[in-house]
Amino acid sequence: MRYYLRRAAFYAITVWAAISLNFLIPRLMPGDPADIMLAKMARSGEVAPGVERTIRLLLGSDTDQTIWQQYVAYWGNLVRGDLGVSVTKFPTPVVELISAALPWSIGLLGLATIISFVVGIAAGAWIGWKRGTWVDHIIPGSTLLQSLPYFWVALLLVYGFAVVNPWFPRIGGFDVFTFDGPEATWAFVGSVAYHGILPALTVVLSSFGGWLLGMRNMMVSTLSEDYITTAEAKGLRRSRILLGYAVRNAALPSIAGFGISLAFVVTGAIVMEQVFTYPGLGKLMITAVQGNDFALMQGLFLVITLTVLAATFLMDIVYGFVDPRTRHNG
Amino acid sequence: MIRRRVRKGMLLAAVLTTVTFLAAGCSGTAESADGPADRTLNVWAGSQTPIAANFNPYAPTVLHGALGPVYETLFLYNKVGTGDPVPMLGDSFSWNEDGTVLTIKIREGVQWSDGEDFTVDDVIYSLTSEVAKSPQLVSAEATDDTTVEVTYDSPQFTNEVGILGSTWMLPEHIWAGKSVEEATTWANEAPVGTGPYTVDSVSEASYTLVANESYWQEGKPEVKKVRYLGIDANASAEDLLKSGDLDWTGMFVPDPEGIAAAGGPAGYVNTPQDPTVLYTCANAELGCKGPQTDVAVRQALNLAIDRGTINEKAFVGLAAPISPTFALLGRDDKWISADVEKESPQTGDPEAAAAILEEAGYTKDADGVYAKDGVKVELTLTSVEGWTDYNDAAKLIEEQVAAAGIKVTASTATWQEFSDSRQSGDFQLIMGGVVGTSVADPFQIYRDWFSGDYTQPVGKALEPGEWNFTRYSNPKVDAAVADAAAANDDETKLAAYAVIQDEITRDLPYIPMEINATQTFYNDADYTGWPTEEDLYAFPPSWGSVSAGYILANLKPVE
Repeated sequence: MRYYLRRAAFYAITVWAAISLNFLIPRLMPGDPADIMLAKMARSGEVAPGVERTIRLLLGSDTDQTIWQQYVAYWGNLVRGDLGVSVTKFPTPVVELISAALPWSIGLLGLATIISFVVGIAAGAWIGWKRGTWVDHIIPGSTLLQSLPYFWVALLLVYGFAVVNPWFPRIGGFDVFTFDGPEATWAFVGSVAYHGILPALTVVLSSFGGWLLGMRNMMVSTLSEDYITTAEAKGLRRSRILLGYAVRNAALPSIAGFGISLAFVVTGAIVMEQVFTYPGLGKLMITAVQGNDFALMQGLFLVITLTVLAATFLMDIVYGFVDPRTRHNG
Repeated sequence: MIRRRVRKGMLLAAVLTTVTFLAAGCSGTAESADGPADRTLNVWAGSQTPIAANFNPYAPTVLHGALGPVYETLFLYNKVGTGDPVPMLGDSFSWNEDGTVLTIKIREGVQWSDGEDFTVDDVIYSLTSEVAKSPQLVSAEATDDTTVEVTYDSPQFTNEVGILGSTWMLPEHIWAGKSVEEATTWANEAPVGTGPYTVDSVSEASYTLVANESYWQEGKPEVKKVRYLGIDANASAEDLLKSGDLDWTGMFVPDPEGIAAAGGPAGYVNTPQDPTVLYTCANAELGCKGPQTDVAVRQALNLAIDRGTINEKAFVGLAAPISPTFALLGRDDKWISADVEKESPQTGDPEAAAAILEEAGYTKDADGVYAKDGVKVELTLTSVEGWTDYNDAAKLIEEQVAAAGIKVTASTATWQEFSDSRQSGDFQLIMGGVVGTSVADPFQIYRDWFSGDYTQPVGKALEPGEWNFTRYSNPKVDAAVADAAAANDDETKLAAYAVIQDEITRDLPYIPMEINATQTFYNDADYTGWPTEEDLYAFPPSWGSVSAGYILANLKPVE
């Protein structure tokens, strides 16, 4: 029990530090968002009378509050769930933008990461189990895929399966030419799944190699442990040795890593989402950075840090459960 | 034996996963069987996802569909033609002698999409509301049911387009009660306008407009449904264009013929509008530093640059030649003085450039770079990172001017740095743009970009509406701009422009490069009525606001 209390206290402090940093960093960044927005609009010609004044009204006014007052107000807003209003997508509140994008990111990337993990671990265990046979040749292939950048894989898939062979859709999280917006029909669900295939495939292809390699190496070293030999000598069934003795121990480091990578799901695969015009968080992040949209940026960073922390916390607990040794002091 | 069972299980799992994916895939491909007559016109006007519903014409994040298709202006000014303004909600207008009183007659029988009549009160509200009001406006009054008289404290001939062609007419009965803050921050999700379309639905990926059945132009629009898409990357839009999913867009495509060849829409028109120039921080009196403050250096640069090669290599041959007078060639020819070069040279002449420098007292040093008083002609040319055409052009300039003994170093900066340095005047050379004028008259460029009243000393950011980044200030130009502003006859203007052109083609605070391509692609197999090379009745791109609404109203589905 003390183990969990200690972890909880540690995470509480980390959350406070992360939120405070999140408050500070945008205030240290240079640039006047109003100027940028005006200049960008002027590039496409006429800025209608009235618009210019609006921009100044929205962005130009700096508050006279001290940093400390702003900090207190920031916490107040946070507790109320108010993350401010986005400038680039004015006047949509940041909370609304994030909550609209979150399900897409979690749905697509969460699923893709789990698939990638399961495939990688299973294949790694199998290859480790059959070490020294032809299956070892799978490893270089998978690490090659791993070393390709996300966006490159995404572009290749788009080119091969959406442009040259138009089997899969080019953009979007659903068929924008058929549906005017999300609706609760089976056709829509099908459309979402169909549109998710290429993006998901991108993630799986370019990440399962890492799991595979790590798992296979752990399997090889675990299999040479004395307790495996003992288990074999006792005459246990092969499947019990594989699953109960070898895999359970070999998977421990991967499980810790899985927690982290699951947490990064919320950041979205930034470039991948851009390539597919997928309505996730990564896409929002690009929008925020390009438009100097501090409120949106802050909101996103907050969500990301909190999720990463929550996921590592959860993994800490799971880990303590899977591996009893971590629960005891030295 | 056991091992084999494990393997089988895994294979089974893999097969199952694949099957699930494929099954999901099949159910998603329901094709709509609509004929072309009632199919939705798909437009990309540059919106990115997620789309946030905002149809408030005063808001900076307003969606393209609001401007033109939903809200209209009094008149339509065709920035790619020379004809008279087309009456929209206005019927006719006239100026008094000195340009301080504008009398507007409005169109009768127009209704807002909520059924109310469009009246002079709406016009007065739209011109005088706190948000849109011109600082020079004194009063706007209705003299009868269809006439509005607007009084200004100074001649407004040159603001005609701003008043009549880009002030949106809003329904007074809805907007009148709003404070400035409300009027600017309101998202106006169900806009009431006079235009050919009304808003049907908005999602984060697209929004749809449907025909306004009580539109004042009888029988229009014939295209009943228009969908504006959000697309994040140009490359995606190009793919969708090629596959025929997009019917109308205005975007840069390096290989325009490739679109139709790949099965996309065959309609294509290029209407170059906006000049690309080198901004030079030209005025040492206002604090500019560097060799480019010497007019001889600017003249030498102007001659040494090989525009033809730059257009071919950096702008894939799609840019158009520029006039050093900044009048748009073809459209504004009548404003170009006979005493100046009409067109900037297309080939470089390094010898002539070197001759200018030598005449100005520069001598070549051991490195082959000209210098005067121990200061070498070494310049930094900045362009925005990622604007590859500009980056390439800057590199080419670096090579070309080296032959004339000028050392230019091409460097890149982020948008932020670029914006800051041109605002504050802290630069030597910047590759940048000038906003083309909306009417067949270069006046706005002369006033906003060249006159000394529209700039600030180096170190002080320009005020909104000021565009003279070069800090150029010439009393002759300023006086001529003032003359032209007060004139409503071509002769006075021509005389004033001749003075301006004489000065700026010699002083070259902006070294002219070319006119950027403005490409529009449209589906002319399923729809007719587009502006074409032969009949440019309106500015063609899908993001063209007033003109975009006008074009949509004129389209006809092919039966």
